[in-house]
Amino acid sequence: MYKFPKKKMLGQDAIPTTSLADMMFLLLIFFIMTTTLTRVTGIVSDMPAGTKAQQPQSEKTPMISLHDNKITMNDKDMTREEMERTLKGMRLDQKSGNAKVVILATEGDVSYQDYYQTMAFIQTCGGIVAIESEDEGGAK
Amino acid sequence: MNRMPRHELPVVPTANLVDIAILLIIFYMACSNFISQQGGTMKLPKASGLEKLNEPLVLVAIDNQGAITLQGRPVGGAADVESGVSDLLKDKTTDEMRHVMLRCDATVSRRVFEPVLNAIVQGGGIVVAVGEKAAEQP
Repeated sequence: MYKFPKKKMLGQDAIPTTSLADMMFLLLIFFIMTTTLTRVTGIVSDMPAGTKAQQPQSEKTPMISLHDNKITMNDKDMTREEMERTLKGMRLDQKSGNAKVVILATEGDVSYQDYYQTMAFIQTCGGIVAIESEDEGGAK
Repeated sequence: MNRMPRHELPVVPTANLVDIAILLIIFYMACSNFISQQGGTMKLPKASGLEKLNEPLVLVAIDNQGAITLQGRPVGGAADVESGVSDLLKDKTTDEMRHVMLRCDATVSRRVFEPVLNAIVQGGGIVVAVGEKAAEQP
């Protein structure tokens, strides 16, 4: 026959919680050491997707081309400083719609550092970067 | 005869200490992001004029060997990135939900990063290109 435990016996099987604080502090130290609270820095670029349309010469979208260690803007060779000055002078932040678009093309061996720097500068000037890449169907 | 009063040492209450520790642990668990999901060895590109951003839910990474990962898993190439991104963004309607973070090593060649960049755009993503702030020139 089952015997119910006496009232005074009940307290003896309680879960020991004395070491809980130690465990909690160990976990706390772990999370403090591994957490990175810094936010990422970068650029948000809503690049237009689609195919390049034929435009009259007067309305041509400005195009920056990076190839090896050279920079060409609208078929003119220039240094990075000259390119930045020209972009600033275009006042892209005051334009709207397609007038804000700057095509960024690459040829030869270009590192992501050079590409990123140019992309970030176009964004800073208020422009929208469009990438031009060659595929089976032509430029995108 | 005057007797000196007996002084007892004050006791610091420590019973609530566990509750505070648990709250702090919950805070750190909620705020943590582990480095393991960010791909292999990477030296981020530097540029000026970068802004602080919230981390998007979709992450594409290219390490210094040119290995591409999507959400921490290796993928074969740009075509896999395009289909993967388009699947992940299927039900996303707002611009912010379409953000795709691109972490790419600064030394990677255009033959590797350009198809990936193009794949993200074609997959319907808005590129969030991560970099480090360069020191401002005087």
